[in-house]
Amino acid sequence: MIAALGAGIAQATPVARSLVRIEATSQEPDYKAPWNPGEVSGGVGAGFIIGGNRIMTNAHVVSNAKFLTVSKEGNPKPRPARVLFIAHDCDLALLTVDESGFFKGTTPLELGGIPAIESVVSVYGYPIGGSRLSVTQGIVSRIDFQTYTHSGMDSHLTVQIDAAINPGNSGGPVMQGGKVVGVAFQGYSGDVAQNVGYMIPTPVIRRFLKDVEDGHYDRYVDLALSYQTLFNPAARAALGLKDDDLGVLVGSVYGGGSSDGIVRPGDVLTAIDGLPISGDATIPMDDDSVPLAEVVERKFKGDEVSLDVVRDGKPAKLKIPLSDPWPFNLHSNVYDEDPRFVVFGGLIFQPVDQNFMTAHEPEDLRLRYMFDFFIEDKIYKDHPEIVVLSGILADPVNAYANDFRHAIVDEINGTKIKRLADVAAEFAKPADYYVIKMAGAGRPVVLERKAVEEARQRILSRYAVTREQNL
Amino acid sequence: MSARALVLFAAICLPAMGGVTPQPKTDKEGATSNSSVLRVNSTNQAYDFFRPWTKKAPFSRRGLGTLIEGGRILVTAELVANNTFIELEKAATAEKSSATVERVDYECNLAVLRPTDPAFIAGMKPMALDDGVRIGDRATVLQLEPNGEIAQTLGTVTSIAVGAYPLDNMGLLLFRLSAPMQQRDGSFTLPAVRDGKLLGLLMRYDARSQTADLISSPVIGHFLAEAGKGNYGGFARAGLAFSATRDPQLRRYIGLNEPGGVYVTDVLTGGPGEKAGLLKGDVILAVDGKAIDQDGNYEDKEFGRIAFSHITNTLSRPGDTLVFRVFREGKTLEIPVKMEPRDRSKIVSESYVVDRVPRYVVLGGVVFMELSRPYLQEWGGDWLKEAPQRLVFYDAFQNELPQDRGKIVFISQILPSQDTIGYEGLDNLVVSKVNGREIRSLDDLAEAVRHPVNGFQKIEIEEDPGVLFLDAAAIEANRDKLVKKYALPALQRL
Repeated sequence: MIAALGAGIAQATPVARSLVRIEATSQEPDYKAPWNPGEVSGGVGAGFIIGGNRIMTNAHVVSNAKFLTVSKEGNPKPRPARVLFIAHDCDLALLTVDESGFFKGTTPLELGGIPAIESVVSVYGYPIGGSRLSVTQGIVSRIDFQTYTHSGMDSHLTVQIDAAINPGNSGGPVMQGGKVVGVAFQGYSGDVAQNVGYMIPTPVIRRFLKDVEDGHYDRYVDLALSYQTLFNPAARAALGLKDDDLGVLVGSVYGGGSSDGIVRPGDVLTAIDGLPISGDATIPMDDDSVPLAEVVERKFKGDEVSLDVVRDGKPAKLKIPLSDPWPFNLHSNVYDEDPRFVVFGGLIFQPVDQNFMTAHEPEDLRLRYMFDFFIEDKIYKDHPEIVVLSGILADPVNAYANDFRHAIVDEINGTKIKRLADVAAEFAKPADYYVIKMAGAGRPVVLERKAVEEARQRILSRYAVTREQNL
Repeated sequence: MSARALVLFAAICLPAMGGVTPQPKTDKEGATSNSSVLRVNSTNQAYDFFRPWTKKAPFSRRGLGTLIEGGRILVTAELVANNTFIELEKAATAEKSSATVERVDYECNLAVLRPTDPAFIAGMKPMALDDGVRIGDRATVLQLEPNGEIAQTLGTVTSIAVGAYPLDNMGLLLFRLSAPMQQRDGSFTLPAVRDGKLLGLLMRYDARSQTADLISSPVIGHFLAEAGKGNYGGFARAGLAFSATRDPQLRRYIGLNEPGGVYVTDVLTGGPGEKAGLLKGDVILAVDGKAIDQDGNYEDKEFGRIAFSHITNTLSRPGDTLVFRVFREGKTLEIPVKMEPRDRSKIVSESYVVDRVPRYVVLGGVVFMELSRPYLQEWGGDWLKEAPQRLVFYDAFQNELPQDRGKIVFISQILPSQDTIGYEGLDNLVVSKVNGREIRSLDDLAEAVRHPVNGFQKIEIEEDPGVLFLDAAAIEANRDKLVKKYALPALQRL
């Protein structure tokens, strides 16, 4: 009965001709033994064919992939595939299959618009519960900004639907009226919320496709500032604003970001690209009210955005050239990159990023402070990279360094350490002693060159360290 | 040292057991002690740091006090912390009277009580201090049975070392006793005695390892000798942090040829060490003529190898001068250090706030406080992770702040009102300026709000949202409404 039903759907749905099942073999880097290639695991996701012999899927389906195969619905033979473009900040990727004839007989799917609230959509994919194509149906529940959990940092427009979305649905198309209205990508497990699934809507998909037209994916751009609602009457009066509930107050402007040096904390933003900003930080767009960030969301690196502000009670117009949201990327999950490290005298040095924090879960207060407040407290000025003594390969040469695990490297032989490369450079210089000063109070860690040289091969072979650094 | 792990048991908790097995008694201790100990029942009520204008529900702690010279009673400070009423009760007759705290020091965890009615203790015998304790000695911990009989548990002194005392992590001499104690009502403070003399007060007990940490007789002796002075300021401390110099690579690098010494890693701003000119990177070779080994221990003529902070904190008295022999850049220096207790008014974030109202100011529903560890500890046992992280970091790294930083004034919460519309949910924000004036204490803040600018109270914050404005006139007009609605006994307590 079940089998018959499954077969029926597969034959009856034209979407099936554009659907692929993706099997990915991936390798998760090992941030505790960073020279190791890491554990191999496998996963299954969905994808769909769009124009230009390309397959669209989620970035998280093919992240860290070492080997990829795709198989067409109705033709289960797996073919090797490769990633053309991957955008971790919006969880989308484009693949292709080099084997000639693969795309023959397939129909590229077309992109539609944003589906209306309460309208019905169908979700296609290969979720748990069987190995063949599965279709579920639901309605559009909500359209809002949501955090994309793949990077953990970025928020974009998201459509919430009540169709079941389960592991294996990822990357599959969400259809309405024969067109793709979204890519299924994340949801809550049943013990958190019921029937809450999310899809990436077409404005985000179109932006990704446009971004890669030049053969390269640039990240999203960002204003790199924070703002708050302005509902308090005293605050409005003090800032010289009318009692019209328009405008938001700029709290912080992040150094190195797009607005740095142009917008000031205390400015009141009243319009963005001519669209009036309500007190709740929304703007009217496409007959809806959306977060003001949506204007910037649709722009690209090098584009400009104009802001109307009230500064010191007087109106002003500002133009912002948009750029990468560094240093925010520190808090994003990192994929497709080998962990960076330096091993010296059995001491392992690593730059801190989200992956490091997830792997090590450090208790050290200073490290947690520098990571958590990297942006707000402008830690990046002195430490563009926070370099820590992340581990110790125990050996007589470092017998007394144990207390310094997870300490932050401040200086080596008097040179301030701003990046991992500085660590490697200092250790490469000839010196009798390497004196490592950590941030905060504490004695220096001292390594004698002679002792380090003596210990080198011993440590490498004993701990099977295949590589001494990856900068 | 393993005392760190035991800090968790600061309030001694003896596990409840099914039945009370009678302990073998040596009547010797019972007879002499019975006339020197009495039950102390303290009703305590701490302030609620989330609502600093209110007190939490009262609770009671019971322990055993020891009568000492001068008609006074010695207990742990924790027993009577935040007390509202202290009751004395004679063990055998259950007669009751009251007492007040004459002197308390939360750092050494000791308090001296004065009975309100001197006649109440007539006929009782004060107990002397036992200052001859050595490792391996036997001692008896006294508890009271419900019928007023003294229960005795014999134990062995297994170690004598400097360890952290509960409230301020101060390093003072501890006796560790191995003794199989049992659950009895009212065991918050218990005396440990030997031959009718007091050798320590039990302040925490680990039921699993059956070990008790005692406030040691030298610490009690120091406290009692100083407690009578009018300007008592607590135990002196050098204000230094140091680390061991066992690493031969470190020793060779700094050119240290002496056998011992510890490396100074931090010097407390304004502390005796800093005033005397001790520097980070100095190696302390000797204190008061006693050589310091690579771990920071010296050979004490009574207790063997113990940490040299016993010399600085307990053996020396405030006002004494200790000579530190220091190795600095290849030279050996003799530096006299005048020992002083810590000036608590200079502390940025206090580690304890007891027996007094937490300071606060309420302005139109915005509640301002000064950062203290008890505030962070309201988040429970895991406060280091659960409490607002910026405040946790301020507390943890307070010694690294600029010398004139003063107190950390912050908005602890907003009481929603007409004047705070739009500010709901803002909390734990550090205030930098009010009406253009730098804020380094709540007194600064109270002064600054008397000078609104253009009719507005302008509150600048270190984090988002950066700035809050309140209507000065509206706050005044709505003042009584706010006080009534939230039942505030006072809009500020400074």
